[in-house]
Amino acid sequence: MPPAIHPVDLIEILRRHRLTPAIVFLTSRRACDEAIDTFAHSSARMSTQRSEAIREFLEKFTKDFPSVEHHPLIPVVQEFGVAAHHAGHLPSWKIAIEELMRQGLLDAVFATTTLAAGVDFPARTVVITQSSVRKSQDFTDLTNSEIQQLAGRGGRRGKDLVGVVVITPSPYIDLNILGKGLTGYPEPIDSQFVVSYPMVLNLLKAHSLDQIEGLLAKSFAQFQLNQRSSIHQDHLDQIKEQLTPYGPRECADWITQWKGFDLARRRKAHRHPIVTNDTPFLTACLPFLTPGRLIGLPKGPAIILRQYRSRGTFAPMLSVIRAKGTLGECPAHSVTQVYDRLFEFQPSRTIPWCQPQVLAQLKKELSQLPARLPTVPILPETQETDDPLLAEVLTEEFPCPSCPSHPACKKDFPLASKLRQKAQQLTKTIQALRDGLWHRFQQKADVLHKFGYITANSQLTADGEWARLIRINHSLLITELIRMEAFSGIAPGLLAGVMASISHDDDRPGSYMRLPSGLASMLTQVRAVADSLSPYEPPPLLRSDVAALVESWIGNPQLTWASLVRSTSMAEGDVYRLLARTLEFLSQIYGLKVTHPGLADTAHSAMVTMRREVLQELP
Amino acid sequence: MHHDDLKRELQNLPVKYLHHMARGRIHRHFRLGKHRLVELMLAFPPDQILAIETELQQILTTRQERLAAQEARAAARPPIPASPFQAKNRPPKKRPTFGPFQPSITLKQILEGIGVPESQPFVPDPWQTEAVEHLAHSDVIVSAPTGSGKTYVAIQAIRQAMALNQTVIYTSPLKALSNTKFMEFTQLFGPDQVGILTGDRRDNAQAPLLVMTTEILRNLFYDAASGEIDLRLHTLGLVILDESQYLADPERGVVWEETIILCPSQARLLLLSASIGNPQDLAEWLQAIRPIPCHLIRHAKRSVPLRGLYLHPTGQLVPLFKNQDILQGKGYTFHPETKQLFAEYEIKPFH
Ligand SMILES: Nc1ncnc2c1ncn2[C@@H]1O[C@H](COP(=O)(O)OP(=O)(O)O)[C@@H](O)[C@H]1O
Ligand SMILES: [Mg+2]
Repeated sequence: MPPAIHPVDLIEILRRHRLTPAIVFLTSRRACDEAIDTFAHSSARMSTQRSEAIREFLEKFTKDFPSVEHHPLIPVVQEFGVAAHHAGHLPSWKIAIEELMRQGLLDAVFATTTLAAGVDFPARTVVITQSSVRKSQDFTDLTNSEIQQLAGRGGRRGKDLVGVVVITPSPYIDLNILGKGLTGYPEPIDSQFVVSYPMVLNLLKAHSLDQIEGLLAKSFAQFQLNQRSSIHQDHLDQIKEQLTPYGPRECADWITQWKGFDLARRRKAHRHPIVTNDTPFLTACLPFLTPGRLIGLPKGPAIILRQYRSRGTFAPMLSVIRAKGTLGECPAHSVTQVYDRLFEFQPSRTIPWCQPQVLAQLKKELSQLPARLPTVPILPETQETDDPLLAEVLTEEFPCPSCPSHPACKKDFPLASKLRQKAQQLTKTIQALRDGLWHRFQQKADVLHKFGYITANSQLTADGEWARLIRINHSLLITELIRMEAFSGIAPGLLAGVMASISHDDDRPGSYMRLPSGLASMLTQVRAVADSLSPYEPPPLLRSDVAALVESWIGNPQLTWASLVRSTSMAEGDVYRLLARTLEFLSQIYGLKVTHPGLADTAHSAMVTMRREVLQELP
Repeated sequence: MHHDDLKRELQNLPVKYLHHMARGRIHRHFRLGKHRLVELMLAFPPDQILAIETELQQILTTRQERLAAQEARAAARPPIPASPFQAKNRPPKKRPTFGPFQPSITLKQILEGIGVPESQPFVPDPWQTEAVEHLAHSDVIVSAPTGSGKTYVAIQAIRQAMALNQTVIYTSPLKALSNTKFMEFTQLFGPDQVGILTGDRRDNAQAPLLVMTTEILRNLFYDAASGEIDLRLHTLGLVILDESQYLADPERGVVWEETIILCPSQARLLLLSASIGNPQDLAEWLQAIRPIPCHLIRHAKRSVPLRGLYLHPTGQLVPLFKNQDILQGKGYTFHPETKQLFAEYEIKPFH
């Protein structure tokens, strides 16, 4: 959607107020291209002198980067001094535009916000037309950091006395988000540490388990987990303080004793003992699923209002408030994420399980959640311990009825047991935070052991030795394919095609080319392996159109870039990125030249054929 | 009700009622403007339209009753002079204001500042010098806004290290940025001094200054740890991680952590980052895991002041905020003209 103001008018207004050069951020690539198209029929030309300067620059530039020579946007750039710059373009084109901008020859560049991070071209003015961006199917508000990244492009040191940010409304705008973003502080950053298979293999290659535990403890992830656990520790200390009046009485652990007694008393009414058949994972989760806890459900985030057991099956259930403010009930096993965020409130016994104003507050909290939240690592107990209480209930007699502390215990039990439960929960959280990373490492190591990449005592096997050199996404799929010799005797083009479809994780639609039969059967095989690995590694999209595209580029060395691009509906820049990524994957396979010389040769010849025309312009 | 009548009725309604009706019908309705909401509602199938009409009738009747009641009450009270804005907009959140009344800035005042500064000899900012100096004996993290001159720090640090015959590695998150920096450094230091490493290519890998993406450096460190050193890591004196706010990238952030953890202890680390909220956390972290101290340089102020304008689709240009320069952490008040124009836009966007 273009900005509500006509792009030509926009540029003329900017020119009139000496606000050029400007970068205009639009929501989509298409919006950028369409904005440029509107200039073709306008009279917003530049002086012939500057047009000439641009022409000269581009002429010189095409000597190093021939791919720019016949770019369809060149006439508009030369005549009107405006250009589009987004991921759909070739890197060479983007470099040209950036350089023209740096030399002050352009009046405006229409760009997408995704590009703001990382590319180095400033201007006097930045035009913002939106307050949210599309991130995987959904619109999310721009963060303060992102807005400041955009606005930061305005005002060049040494060339401008002041920078200007111009906001012009489009249907995607909320003025307050922009006001807050421009004047607020940038958000703190959070670690995004994930343990991957190559990481485990490479660490095990050079370090002992003890050393690895030390290395993981050095991560920023652990640093932040420790920060969080120290907050919980403070809380725990407070609770322990509150628990001091409830120390030992006639019996040392009177709370447990009374709990057992209480249970036994009530159990008399029941005919059948209560049996739970929760999974160990669910059991490990339950202590965290308390009122106020933020959780992820398949439909989105929610805050727990109470936990209870269903009447019939005695399954653990939750009452929750969802993002829209609706109340709901759901089984505890449907919880997908347990976040490390607790909204304290006073639970009540009747619907809606808390004070109405709390409900409003919780709804507000839910609407303001940041995009990413830390989760509580859940550590399921490995061996099932029988509930010791249950055993006691059934076997022992309780001294309580005749004990002198009976009245005191009866009075204090509700509060004391609640405090103690809380303390236990906090201890568990702290434990989980401290051990989370190591636990994740072990999970990955277990999988690698299962597949035979490492031995029972954590040494690399012969397969592990070479598999550690594949340090890319979907590494497990690739190494498994190599082990089952799926690629033996394969043509270079075919190998590249398969690698392309493994590497490509963009679902932006492309065209469906005719699949060569060899590629089709190969992809079927790869898909089957990927599906069988899905419990251990999320399968790639494995699109066959991109495989066919890459296969044709390598299978037919006479094919020109222009006709390759013409054969697909993908944008030129996307085709380039696809090939560049495939090159990266192939080069990792080429790295196996010692153990798999034949395969490495195939990969190498694919790489050599691949690097022609545009693909050899840049390192 | 006729289509156009319904449209008019809906458009005359305050937007909060529209949101009320849109609830459960239009996905993410709360982020849409009035015009778009009406458009979407009119596009519903006939049975939904009927339901909307009934709701609309209900709202209209209750509203009329309320308005009538309000009028009756207002008539009973002595009249209060109303400000021209309050009729249309909610009053802004009241902030305690101290000192004399501050008049809003004018467009002229904002535009007057625009221009080209006289060319001045290059004088490094104090924070830039400070960063370079501290690199002599500690790791350094620089957190400064875009465009403030972090590259200068990198270049001086490279000079300093090369003078000591050390190897320097410069990484950026994107291949495109690596290429730009490679060209920039080649011009600056000469082609024989700069090399570039990518997944499948090594150009001039023996040069004292190597440019690469962070992934490539991480891989180098893994190879070095397992004894397959093919680069002079023992002479490595400085590692520069540009755009290190990428540490928080959901997919690739882990690579920055691996690189920092595996970075040899004799090499200095220079982290260059855009403004982030918690640079002191990063500094404390480095301090805790590295054998040498870590110095944090946090430069929050923009080098070139930034001003805001609001451009209405009719072509009217007005100041965005009440104040001249956009400052951080001081809150914000939109300029009255912006408020008025934007309210108009929300009611009837221009085509
Ligand atoms: N001390 C200074 N005085 C004047 N201009 C400077 C100074 N330091 C850097 N610059 C200029 O500021 C611009 C932006 O610098 P850059 O290093 O790209 O910013 P960033 O912090 O985003 O990396 C460059 O053109 C540079 O020449
Ligand atoms: Mg920079």
